[in-house]
Amino acid sequence: MDLAQRDKLSELVEELTTSGQQQLNQEKMKEIKKICKLSNDYVDHVYYSVMAQLDKEHAEIRLSAFQIASELFSRSHQFRIRLVDNFQEFLELTVETDSDQPLPPPKEVAKKLKISAIKTIQSWQATYGSAYKKLALGYHFLKQVKNVDFNDVQARTVAERSRENERQRRMERIYRDRVETAAKEMEESYQEIETTVTEMKSCLELLLPDEFGLSDQTAAGIPNSLSLGDAALVGLEQASRHRFEDELPWSGQSLSAEEALWKEMKENRGNNERREEEDEKKCLDPRMEEKHSPETIETVVMEGSALKTNQDCEEKEVDRDEETEMNDVPYEDVFIRNSGLISHSYTLNINVESDVQVKETEDNEAVVSTLIDIHRLITTKHLPAVQSWVQVFTKSGPEQQQLLRRALHLKITLESLLKKEKLLHIDYKTRIRKVTRATAEGEEDDEDEDEDDFEEVPEKEGFEPHIPDHLREEYGLEPSPSTSAALTKPKAPLKRPAPLVFPMTSSPFAARRMTRRLEEERDPTCAAATLHLLKGQLRHCTGPRVSSDPPNTTEDSNVAGSTSSVGDKAPDAPIVPFGLDLYYWGQKQPSAGKIIKSTSQHRFWVPCEVDEETENQEVLAESRSRYISFPGTFTPVSHHCNAPLGNGKLCPRQDRIKCPFHGVIVPRDAHGQPSRAEDREREAREDMRRKEMHPDWQDVELMQDIEAATGEDLGSQRLLGKGKGRGKGKGKGKSKQKYPNLSDLKKSADTSRSRLENKVFNKSSMRRVTAVMNKIDSRKHEKFSNQFNYALN
Amino acid sequence: MLGFISARKVGLDDPLRLRRAESTRRLLSLELNHGRDVERIHGNGVNCLDIEAVEGRYMLSGGADGVIVIYDLENYSGKLQYTCKAVGTVGRCEMFAHKFSVETVQWYPFDTGMFISSSFDKTMKVWDSETLKPAERFMFDGNVYCHHMSPIARKHSLVAVGTKNPKLQLCDLKSGSRIHVLQGHRAEILSVRWSPRNEHILATASADSTVRLWDVRRASGSLFTLDQHNGDKSKAAAEAVNTAHNGRVNGLCFSGDGLYLITMGTDDRMRLWNSGTGENTLVNYGKVSNESRKGLKFTVSSGCSLDCVFVPCGSSVAVYALHSGELVTTLRGHYNNVDCCDFHPDYQELYTGGKDCNVLAWVPALRPPDVEEERKDGVGPVSVNPAFEDAWSSEED
Repeated sequence: MDLAQRDKLSELVEELTTSGQQQLNQEKMKEIKKICKLSNDYVDHVYYSVMAQLDKEHAEIRLSAFQIASELFSRSHQFRIRLVDNFQEFLELTVETDSDQPLPPPKEVAKKLKISAIKTIQSWQATYGSAYKKLALGYHFLKQVKNVDFNDVQARTVAERSRENERQRRMERIYRDRVETAAKEMEESYQEIETTVTEMKSCLELLLPDEFGLSDQTAAGIPNSLSLGDAALVGLEQASRHRFEDELPWSGQSLSAEEALWKEMKENRGNNERREEEDEKKCLDPRMEEKHSPETIETVVMEGSALKTNQDCEEKEVDRDEETEMNDVPYEDVFIRNSGLISHSYTLNINVESDVQVKETEDNEAVVSTLIDIHRLITTKHLPAVQSWVQVFTKSGPEQQQLLRRALHLKITLESLLKKEKLLHIDYKTRIRKVTRATAEGEEDDEDEDEDDFEEVPEKEGFEPHIPDHLREEYGLEPSPSTSAALTKPKAPLKRPAPLVFPMTSSPFAARRMTRRLEEERDPTCAAATLHLLKGQLRHCTGPRVSSDPPNTTEDSNVAGSTSSVGDKAPDAPIVPFGLDLYYWGQKQPSAGKIIKSTSQHRFWVPCEVDEETENQEVLAESRSRYISFPGTFTPVSHHCNAPLGNGKLCPRQDRIKCPFHGVIVPRDAHGQPSRAEDREREAREDMRRKEMHPDWQDVELMQDIEAATGEDLGSQRLLGKGKGRGKGKGKGKSKQKYPNLSDLKKSADTSRSRLENKVFNKSSMRRVTAVMNKIDSRKHEKFSNQFNYALN
Repeated sequence: MLGFISARKVGLDDPLRLRRAESTRRLLSLELNHGRDVERIHGNGVNCLDIEAVEGRYMLSGGADGVIVIYDLENYSGKLQYTCKAVGTVGRCEMFAHKFSVETVQWYPFDTGMFISSSFDKTMKVWDSETLKPAERFMFDGNVYCHHMSPIARKHSLVAVGTKNPKLQLCDLKSGSRIHVLQGHRAEILSVRWSPRNEHILATASADSTVRLWDVRRASGSLFTLDQHNGDKSKAAAEAVNTAHNGRVNGLCFSGDGLYLITMGTDDRMRLWNSGTGENTLVNYGKVSNESRKGLKFTVSSGCSLDCVFVPCGSSVAVYALHSGELVTTLRGHYNNVDCCDFHPDYQELYTGGKDCNVLAWVPALRPPDVEEERKDGVGPVSVNPAFEDAWSSEED
């Protein structure tokens, strides 16, 4: 055996195993084979060196060594004999048969090693199993004792699999518990939800009597186009229909004329006939009739589809009771008088929009407030609960079908109710304003309303009726003089663009509703405006109801503005509790700082002399002055450090006074140069000093390069490793130099956790902590040394 | 070899001599032969093995899951390749099977129609090997660690049973009852052996680190206790009783002629004693790793000029020369701990069972064919199996 060849073999094996590559270098492998082919002695030598490498605590080395072994195993009988002879150890090192010796890190490579080892052993068994007894034994051992599933690519061992099973079982148990609790919960609250649902249903029923199953249809999004009779005189019909629209008092349902015109005539005649009659009956309200001037109708026609024609918000206060009273008027006469139509045989298409609007009035206030309560109950309590149940039942698998169906049913019911309620577009606004001013509990409602508003944020284009104060600067507005939103409101509408430009497509209903109402009120031709004016005046007279009026009109807002400007100063002045100092404000206090001091502490043997009064400085001071802690307000830092960084950028840190990297923050120009001369000077001085310490040519990286090239120590470590220990850095460098291609095992250990551990558990801090603890302990002993139960421990 | 045969022919030598020489050679050339397999029946670790002494044909094995298997070791096929068939199995699901791990199995020494097994389910059962049904059942208070029946006894048929109870139980197969109790140990008895030389002499090893020798005719107490220090007072002063080891004594075995006693302790020592006097022969076997918590089953070869002890050590079997204490070889083949081994005295074969469910047969290697024969053959024995050939591809040149 040639010694040179042998050395070369060892060298090759080491190079191959420490390359860190997933695949072997074929050139080197060929060389090994070539040498091994010469003699069995070389094979033995390679075997020993491979086994030595396999024993290393690094998965990459092991993987490469294993690959060499598998290459040679298929070639050399001698190698096979050797390896099979020591097959137990081989298995321990590659397949992790011994649980006390897990495969070394890195984890991914170890996993790969294991999988490939198992696969290779299977192929070996297929080829050589009959000839090498121990190989077969090892294979059976893996298969039967270690329960390695050779078809399982994951190559999980029994332990892993049992762990997996255990986990699964635990999860199942948890799910089962959850299902049980959820089922119990559902059982308990089912009744409650049911009552809530019926309550809500009846509330909705009260608000919008669902005589024709209308709301269901509208909910489904089917526009109802109704037809009656044969042909139609369009012009006449239009007029009459506009009246209907304006006058339909019972719901505020808008009937869009234009759409209806071009809609085809449709189904359910009988039903519609009845309906038509009712509609007509309802329109017979004479008072309404009077109010509507022809101009109103004209306007409506002009504005057309851009504005959905539901105008009169205020008029909806008219009640059903009134309607029924009005029905006494002879029907035919009224019909002719109203519409000018002589015959009933006109076609009338009525399109019921899905836009239903319910205005809250004093009459239905109770219902609406109940509705709000129920709504809140459902959204905050029932719906989340039901959703969580559905989730739990879905996860738990197929055996909970019954429960799941029930929960789903509940969920659907609740959701459909909420949808219905939303479609009603109940106008809470007035009520809420009223309530907030009147009672304290209104605050909650306010919050609730706020939440609703959050959901329905209007689109940014157009105008924003209310710009929050902190955003005013962003919008280029001067800061509002008062915090009250009432004042800003009248200003905002002035800025809005022409009314027809309003985006109608997707903006949420509430916003649209509000803007529409604002518009109408500002439009002098609109009936709403005059009505509003009248009402406003009326309320002014009645006094306390002023507050209930929405602060939309100019008069109202002016009033509100003036009141708020008076109270404007209030938040600036501190509110202090009443005390003695305020009581005697500006006068001398008679008995300031005097306390009665009894000389004898005895309870019943009291001396005859009177208690003397003594002057106490502390009490005196207390009664004359008071401390007011003033925390101040946080003003955010608006400046940046702006010192020039190495990469050409400016330091973006926003410290108040001093940047931890660049010192005291001074004003700088766009290039990061200090704008003041003395600062510039100071910086130049510091620069000089730094340069003196490390001359420019001592660039650390360059020095490292030179060192690597020449092998001489120029002291780059000294410059570099100021913070770190020098020896440690050196050791690391050496090991890196040795096997630069292997992944560093220590690096993976450098996690935030380990760094923290280093900090927390380092010697000095531990010592400090123990010292403090001991001190506390000893103090306890000193304090209670006379008491035996403390002295004992 | 030829010299031995010719000397035997001429009558110069004792016939025993040739036999000894050959069996010694075979003993030393034990190897895991792929020509001999033992059928894989056990689904769990194999705890104990016993080869019957009458014919040397059947082997018993007891598993950690309560399974008992009878193997036929004899190769009548005429081929080299032979798998030892299981001729009888007491499966786990069977009605009479032991519930827990079977710790000891032993053939009735004079007939293969009966065998005895004891288990951690606190019972000892006497089986009819034809029907594989228990003929007798003994119940005990604690786990049964071991039992043994005298291989030579003609005047009695006693089974000594070591249980968790420190009292040694003697069961009489004639009456089917526990007739006697031997008191003296202070902890559970892990191993018990009858002397192969004197039918009344019994040795027990206990967890209280003592080994006692008894004469069953004298019930009052043990004959003597083995003392590792041979009565050296200065060393033994600390202990009130003589101890054989510094830890639990969990292995016990008489040499083939019964003159010596070998003990194993959890202090990782093996000691050889003179069984007649109880003297420690002070043979140094070095460290013999012993991690077993139960009784350790090891065996001694017999009938060779160099007798050897086979001791399970982890996943291998260490072979020590009995009298010199020298480690002869290590048999590596199991992939998990070896629990038991038994030596076939006629064929010099060793059978081992381990936690990896395997029962391995270690068979003496065949004599390598003479060089001249091979030449004449022409074909060469190398071509027997293509798997043994090298497969260097030519492209690597």
